[in-house]
Formats: sequence, structure tokens, C-alpha cells
Amino acid sequence: MAGPLAPERTPDTTVDEDHDLDRPWVTIVWNDPVNLMTYVTFVLQELFGYDEPTATTLMLQVHHEGKAIVSSGPRERMEHDTSRLHAYGLWASYQRDS
Amino acid sequence: MKPFRARGGDVVARLDPAEATVVGLLLDQLEQLLAADAEDVGDDPVLARLLPDGHRGDPEIAADYRELTESALRSGKADDLAVVRATLPAAGGEVRLDADQAAAWLRSTNDLRLALGTRLDIGEDTEPPEEITGEEDQQLAVYYWLTAVQGSLVDALVAARAGRS
Repeated sequence: MAGPLAPERTPDTTVDEDHDLDRPWVTIVWNDPVNLMTYVTFVLQELFGYDEPTATTLMLQVHHEGKAIVSSGPRERMEHDTSRLHAYGLWASYQRDS
Repeated sequence: MKPFRARGGDVVARLDPAEATVVGLLLDQLEQLLAADAEDVGDDPVLARLLPDGHRGDPEIAADYRELTESALRSGKADDLAVVRATLPAAGGEVRLDADQAAAWLRSTNDLRLALGTRLDIGEDTEPPEEITGEEDQQLAVYYWLTAVQGSLVDALVAARAGRS
């Protein structure tokens, strides 16, 4: 029997972990002062097939908010998307969706 | 420089002899940096910007990513540099690019801007130099010249794409 100082364990912990595994991964583009706004929009259209208004909205989000999620899905695909963005010099990274 | 314009299926620009020389020298420098021993340039901020971490916060995932992608990223940059070199008129003159060559120019000029921008610590509020009084002003002027080249290339490719659809 656990004493009063034993860490409290709740079933929620397990549920959260399971839920964690289901969370998708995302690719994020971060703002940087060098990449041209027109260039970022162009690259997002080329790589992800976004139409011009969608790509522009994402570019503006990067510019004004410092970052934007440009794709989401399984980890391997986000690795691939990140490397395609790196090939174009965009400042990108991938992570589990938060 | 006569900026890039869409013409037929190609994009076309014209470079002065001095401009072609500058681009050639910058390509040399970028090539040397990418080919340098990791021991010599391991923590170079320009390389860190050109070959960035894939994950922020988890060094293990970042290392996995690097192992998986860095060599392809490096060889892609080397291929792009070779295309730019092959299509650059060494003594100045017309630059005519098909779609694949234009993509290589787009990525390489961006890498040159990232490299210069990192060295010069370019920020959101950096302005072009009003007069050239030192070496840093000169480099800044080159950076803004490259910005104009790349900007015109993006605009020409957008125009070419609009023409196709």
C-alpha cells in the first residue's frame, strides 16, 4: 500500500500516452529575414501544390506570427517535407503536433 | 543587369561582365564551404543555416534527420551550383534558362543570399547601403543585387506558370 508521499498515479496518464501516439506530426516553416515573401509563396505552391491564395496565407502567417504549419501527417512524410523545404533554403523543422 | 523575364517556355536575363564575375566568385566560395572538412567548419553559422536541424529541441531526432537527409541535401546543392556555372556567361551576356535550370538558379541564388545574409547579420530592418565606404557596404550591395536577381527570377517563373495555365 502506498504511503502518503507516493506519487499519485491516475489512469489518465496511460490514456494520454496512447493519445500521444495518435497525434500527427507537422512540418513548420519559421520566419527568417532573408527569404523573399514571393519566393516563400512560390516554393509552397511548387512543393505542396497549394493554390496561390492558400500559399500566400501561409507565407503571411510565417511573416507575421513567426511560423506556420505547412503540412501534417506521419513522421516519415514530415521528414521528407522538411528536407524538400531545406533544399529550397526555407527554415523548416518537423515535430509532433502540440 | 537586365532582370529575368518569361520568354516562351524559358526565362531570360542579361548580366554585365562584372556581375557575371561576382556570381562566379560567390559560387566558388559556396562550393568551397560545402566541400570543406566538417572538422574545420563544423560550427560555421552559414553551414548551420544551409543545412539546418530538422527538429528543434530533440537532439536525437535531429541527428536521425541529419543522417537520413544531409548527404542528399549537399549533393543537391552541388548539382545546382554546377547548373548555374554551366549556364552563367563567364564574360557577361544573356542567361537563358529552361524550367529545371531556373529551379537550380532559384535555389543557388537563395543559398548565396542566405550565406551572405548570415555573414552580414541581415535583419528585418536592414537597409541597402546609401554609399559604399567599406568592404561590408560592398557585400551588402552584392546581397541586395542578388535579391533583385532572385526576385525577378521568381516573378518571371510566376508569370511563366500563369502563361501555362
